[in-house]
Amino acid sequence: MLYVKNLYKSYETGKIKYPVLKGIDFHVEKGEFVAVMGPSGSGKTTLLNCISCYIPFEEGEITLGGKSLAGLSEDGLARIRNEKLGFVFQDFMLLDGLTVRENILVPRIVQGEVGVDAEALANELVSLFGIGHIMNKYPAEISGGEKQRAAVARSLINRPLMILADEPTGNLDSKSSRAVIEAFGSAREKMKATIFMVTHDSFAASFCDRVILFKDGNIYRQLEQTGNRREFQDELLQVIKEMSDQEVSI
Amino acid sequence: MMREHETQAEMERTETEHTVAEPVRTMQKMEQKLQRAGRKQAKLYLFCNFMALMIVSGYAALMFSPTIQTVFPPGGDSRKQMDMIFFMTLAGCVVFTLYATGLFFRHKSRQLGILMALGASRKKLFPGLFREVFLLSSLSSIAGIIAGFPLVWLIWSAFRVFLVDSSDMVLRFDLRCLFLSFLFWLLVTGFACMSARRYVRRTNIMEVIREEHINEPVKELGRWCGPVGVVLIIIGAALGYGAPGIWMDVMNAYPPAWLGILYVPVFVGLYMVMLHAVVNGWRNLPGMSGRKKNLYKNIISRSMMKFQGKQTVNNLIIVTLLVAGACFAIFYLPTMTSSAMLKYAERSFDYFYEYRSDQNVPDKATVEALAEEHGIALKDWETCEYITVGAGGNTMVEEADGKHFHIEYQPVSCEMVLLSEDAYARMTGETVDIVPGAYLFVTDKEEASVNTNESAGHLTSITTGKQIETEFAGYLHDDLLMGIRMLAVVSNEDYMLLAEELSDEWRGVMVRFNADGKDSYEFARDLWYRFVSSFDKSCEISVHYDRVDKVMADEAGEEYWADSDPFMEVSYEEKESSSFKMNWRYQPKFRILDINDFLVTMAVFFMMFLFIFIVCLTTALVICYTRCQTIALNNRYIFDDLKKLGASQAFLEKEVRSQCGNVFRTPAFVGMAAMYLYYGMILYVNDGQIVSSEIIGMGVCLGVLFLIGLLFYFVYRATVRTLKKQLQIG
Repeated sequence: MLYVKNLYKSYETGKIKYPVLKGIDFHVEKGEFVAVMGPSGSGKTTLLNCISCYIPFEEGEITLGGKSLAGLSEDGLARIRNEKLGFVFQDFMLLDGLTVRENILVPRIVQGEVGVDAEALANELVSLFGIGHIMNKYPAEISGGEKQRAAVARSLINRPLMILADEPTGNLDSKSSRAVIEAFGSAREKMKATIFMVTHDSFAASFCDRVILFKDGNIYRQLEQTGNRREFQDELLQVIKEMSDQEVSI
Repeated sequence: MMREHETQAEMERTETEHTVAEPVRTMQKMEQKLQRAGRKQAKLYLFCNFMALMIVSGYAALMFSPTIQTVFPPGGDSRKQMDMIFFMTLAGCVVFTLYATGLFFRHKSRQLGILMALGASRKKLFPGLFREVFLLSSLSSIAGIIAGFPLVWLIWSAFRVFLVDSSDMVLRFDLRCLFLSFLFWLLVTGFACMSARRYVRRTNIMEVIREEHINEPVKELGRWCGPVGVVLIIIGAALGYGAPGIWMDVMNAYPPAWLGILYVPVFVGLYMVMLHAVVNGWRNLPGMSGRKKNLYKNIISRSMMKFQGKQTVNNLIIVTLLVAGACFAIFYLPTMTSSAMLKYAERSFDYFYEYRSDQNVPDKATVEALAEEHGIALKDWETCEYITVGAGGNTMVEEADGKHFHIEYQPVSCEMVLLSEDAYARMTGETVDIVPGAYLFVTDKEEASVNTNESAGHLTSITTGKQIETEFAGYLHDDLLMGIRMLAVVSNEDYMLLAEELSDEWRGVMVRFNADGKDSYEFARDLWYRFVSSFDKSCEISVHYDRVDKVMADEAGEEYWADSDPFMEVSYEEKESSSFKMNWRYQPKFRILDINDFLVTMAVFFMMFLFIFIVCLTTALVICYTRCQTIALNNRYIFDDLKKLGASQAFLEKEVRSQCGNVFRTPAFVGMAAMYLYYGMILYVNDGQIVSSEIIGMGVCLGVLFLIGLLFYFVYRATVRTLKKQLQIG
């Protein structure tokens, strides 16, 4: 589904170049729920932005659904973002002037006219995520958790190959976080969605099949869930602690 | 950032929630709905464009109106001042509209970024965005251009109703002024459309999404930048003003336009001063005692300004320029008025006039009879004869390239009016002893007049061609006689020699007298009418018309330039016009008439400069107000946090006051102080001294500055009140 090979990306401040991603290699299978964790500045969000085609990368290759993203035109990248990817952001990124229903339909509107099928899918999604009662409300009138569930619904409206989520629970309380993670679970179960999530939240990550741990622009370790979520969360916390201890000793 | 965004959305919610009739299904419908939701940002953009275009259009309409063009002499100081302030205002408006466009797109960037992130290509986004900015820019610009005309008409009519009215003040428009307004409209719309293109072409979508929240801190230059900025302003002003004169003296050439570049240090200095005000504040100068104690004072309000530093500094510079422009315009009134009134008061006689001997003007008996009709008596009646001759002089002769010139002595170069020693003594009561071959030039007490001739080596009778050699021997001082074009006094012998066989056309008579007791305005006005009406067409000439030059040109078979120059025209048919009263060669000096009619004669000048003053100051105050609103409202969440941290109402109010104070105080002070000093420098450099009327004028200007300061203070108070209400403080 998603292949990332030898990905390299750096930022420049004045004349100084700071490498952020130093040759990353991994892949995500269809239907998998994968999280990326790591300390701030480790390169998680940069990786997500590169896969999202939001920022250009310098070296390496990203292949999505068998199609390489490098060398695509602006229009080609826009088509990938619209048709093949769905996005969930930390701060929701809903358009304030549109209702929840309209926000969910934005990726379809961008494609052209919204048909009956899209309306039906929107109804299905809001009912799946328990936000049918707020369909005609505006973002300013609903809670953070409801906003994020609306964003998850939006990410699925074009039935993308993959959902990319950047700290989806970062601005939410524990109850709302759980609702959002459950929404991801439903999406995966009912719509066979593939999800790739960047997070700091070990609780959210413990719901994933696999967690890739990042450190200083490299993959530090990959952990796979074996069945018990609580144990998986403990394992994650243990590895994160190890990473922190190494930094302290350095 | 999140909260700020949500608060804003909350505020807009009520506007949008009930407007949804059916869900949007197409890109166009979605854009329309988002545009409706973003009305608030659009309103600010529309307002800024509208204001800028209204000001530019109004100013251009007035500047190009035949009413102004007729009265303001081309190449004259007043026209130069008007043009200079126009370009300053134009520059201010350009920066203001560019700022408004930037602000509009910053607010719009989040929406654009989200749509891009969700897969909207530039081809899909650009048409809608282009349509929106084109419509907003065009509508606001056209509305502004149209509004400029009624604005001018309203202000002008108010002047005529409440202040002064004259036949000159019938306002007429020349639609050619629209050319400038349309150029400005093209600039505004073009820039907005280019910005739209630039935004949708950006490849880093995350940058577009977060642009609204990106701070723009300015590069700090250290505490020295404020004082150095002040020095640069002074150096730039002195260099820029003095360079053209030095260039002419040294290079014997007209100063090229690029010399204006020497004013650049003024703008660099201004930037540094404003930067210092925003980053450090003027209470933290290097070496100032108690610096550490002040380090945390107003730290919150200053940091708010600092992190929107680029916009803030730009705005403060514009406001400074506008305040300086307003001051430059308004200073014209007190300096002109005080100078004229002092001159009228200091005249040694109530009435003075002169006429050519071939004219049939009212004689003494007729004037006395007229005075009797008005119930007044006359005294101190005195007359004397004068002659007009050709005088030699150093003349600026232009080279073939039209750029260089050289100074060349010509034995007959211009007109000079001569009085004999006796005639001068009769008119002034001052006895002078002049040796044959010498002449004394008559000027004012301060010797501040530029109309002098110290290089006349020859005096020539135009009728007979008789010529004597002569030499400048010094000045005589008489403010009453001084106004006569190039007046000199020679020995009785030289006078007799040159007057011999001279035709009446080159002879003349001067008359002066006083009112015995209380003077009468009606008498003065009646006499003026009769006096002007008694002249024939040969005397219908401007004070700048040189009859000797004309004779020389005729003899050489050339056309005399002043015969075809429309700005040298004076007409008896328009004798009530200020142009006639200011430029007619034989305009008499009647004290009571001059004092009472001064405002009417100068009305167009005054009104124009008053208009400029009002426009510049209003624009400056509007910019200050909107700037304070932008900074405070963009930082609304800081005030909310401070409240949660337990900040008292008094503390929050102090922060708001400090914030607004910086925006209002610094540009107002710098603009006023800089222009006051610059104006003083101009007055000094003009004649190497500051004469008494100029001192009085500068004193009045100081009073005007105080009033402007008060106005700024009141608007500042009103702004603080509004912000407190909006931020729910107090």
